[in-house]
Amino acid sequence: MKSAPFTYVRPASVEEALHVLDEQAGAARILAGGQSLVPMLQMRLMQLDALVDINRLPGLDEVRAAGAETIFGPLVRYATIERLPLVAERLPLLQCVMRFVGDPQIRNRGTIGGSLAQADPTGEVPLSCLALDATIVAASVSGTREILIDDFLVSSYTTALEPGEMITEIRFPLAPHHFAFLERNRKHNDFAVVNVAVVGRRGSDGGWSDLRIALGGVSDRVVLAVESAALLEGTTLEEDAIAQAAQLALDVIDPPTDVRGTAEYRRHLVPVYVRRALSKLRDDHEPFDA
Amino acid sequence: MPERVEVTISVNGRKHRRQVEPRMHLADFLRHELGLTGTHIGCEQGVCGNCTVLVDGQAVKSCLMFAAQADGQRVTTVESLAEEELHPLQQAFKDAHALQCGYCTPGFLMAAAAIAAEGRRPSREELREELSGVICRCTGYENILIAVERYLEDRGEVEAVGG
Ligand SMILES: Cc1cc2nc3c(=O)[nH]c(=O)nc-3n(C[C@H](O)[C@H](O)[C@H](O)COP(=O)(O)OP(=O)(O)OC[C@H]3O[C@@H](n4cnc5c(N)ncnc54)[C@H](O)[C@@H]3O)c2cc1C
Repeated sequence: MKSAPFTYVRPASVEEALHVLDEQAGAARILAGGQSLVPMLQMRLMQLDALVDINRLPGLDEVRAAGAETIFGPLVRYATIERLPLVAERLPLLQCVMRFVGDPQIRNRGTIGGSLAQADPTGEVPLSCLALDATIVAASVSGTREILIDDFLVSSYTTALEPGEMITEIRFPLAPHHFAFLERNRKHNDFAVVNVAVVGRRGSDGGWSDLRIALGGVSDRVVLAVESAALLEGTTLEEDAIAQAAQLALDVIDPPTDVRGTAEYRRHLVPVYVRRALSKLRDDHEPFDA
Repeated sequence: MPERVEVTISVNGRKHRRQVEPRMHLADFLRHELGLTGTHIGCEQGVCGNCTVLVDGQAVKSCLMFAAQADGQRVTTVESLAEEELHPLQQAFKDAHALQCGYCTPGFLMAAAAIAAEGRRPSREELREELSGVICRCTGYENILIAVERYLEDRGEVEAVGG
């Protein structure tokens, strides 16, 4: 259970980090919280020539408001997200899901950027970033680019990041006020069997708009149930409509069978959890209060 | 010769300078380099929490952090607790029969020490969540919760744990 040898690099700037990633051409990785990378190295699921430790780089662990947008540095830790009033106010869904990620020790270390780069198909962070329509800013020696979360998440543990790229920012647009999140676990703190995040805006007439329904654990990446959301646009989320949308969500899933559950079980869970999440969205429609 | 990096880590108030392989994790550093074997290793993949220590006051699993990362930081281990007598937190564990084989106990003690150091008094349910990062296969957890609760209740003012 020991990692293979590697070179440890602690760069003094993002530029230097990018330079090392470029030089190593895929044989180096960023070390952020280490809560996925270190176990993978120690289980020898991965072997690297170098780790680029970004934990001491200044300014990467900040969250700031920029007009309607909320911008996260890649190194913002789960424990910070859990406690920050700015997140409670602007992105309550993101704050709410944190309690479902690992345990307090994991949350003291794990980072938003690491979780996105890890792209676990059950990950609460990728799931809520998809529901909240985040944009990932990636930098390399040749410049920076913005990647929409839906393009960023490619498949299991695979993102659109090139080997020489590092996530430098995660940007969230103004989020709809209302949200609901549900997760099915085998045991406390375990990775999810299935999880669902929904967000939406409730108009003064009671009609819902800007609905987004994100599903985790149901495919090789977290997915959006686009048609289900479209079906509910403008409705008051009455039972029939919800039931129909929940059933329709089966069209976007391709669930795996693994140690946490069978594909059949997940297919059973999805309509149930989508229906419950949407009912919850409708019934506790007060904005989240931290 | 494998590559080595120099680290200076303050452990329980004492500075230690060593040359270590980058792949050496903090739990091995504490045990093998410093002989502080109170920090136990269970799974080496971050699940069991037996290796929990404080790094700059925060509870972390020391198997998921390389010693090189702790360079210049303050580490607090279970050895910081007892002096001549058991620390009141340890005494509370003893009184409540919060351990049987004792293997996980250092992990629970340090997870609890982090809560105490922050001066928090979580409810029973919150405490269950707070301590959920450490696994015990003997006690069924109830006595651990009782011990930590009693300790947090009894000790009144915040006392700093370790250095
Ligand atoms: C016991 C346990 C339980 C857990 N439970 C859950 C859970 O319930 N849900 C969940 O989602 N996760 C869970 N995790 C994983 C945890 O969320 C990790 O923290 C997360 O997956 C990775 O974040 P990190 O900051 O630790 O990244 P690291 O482990 O440091 O890195 C992970 C990957 O991301 C890359 N990376 C990191 N930062 C960047 C960056 N800025 N730019 C480019 N690449 C980067 C690394 O190179 C590496 O490939 C658990 C982990 C453990 C040990």
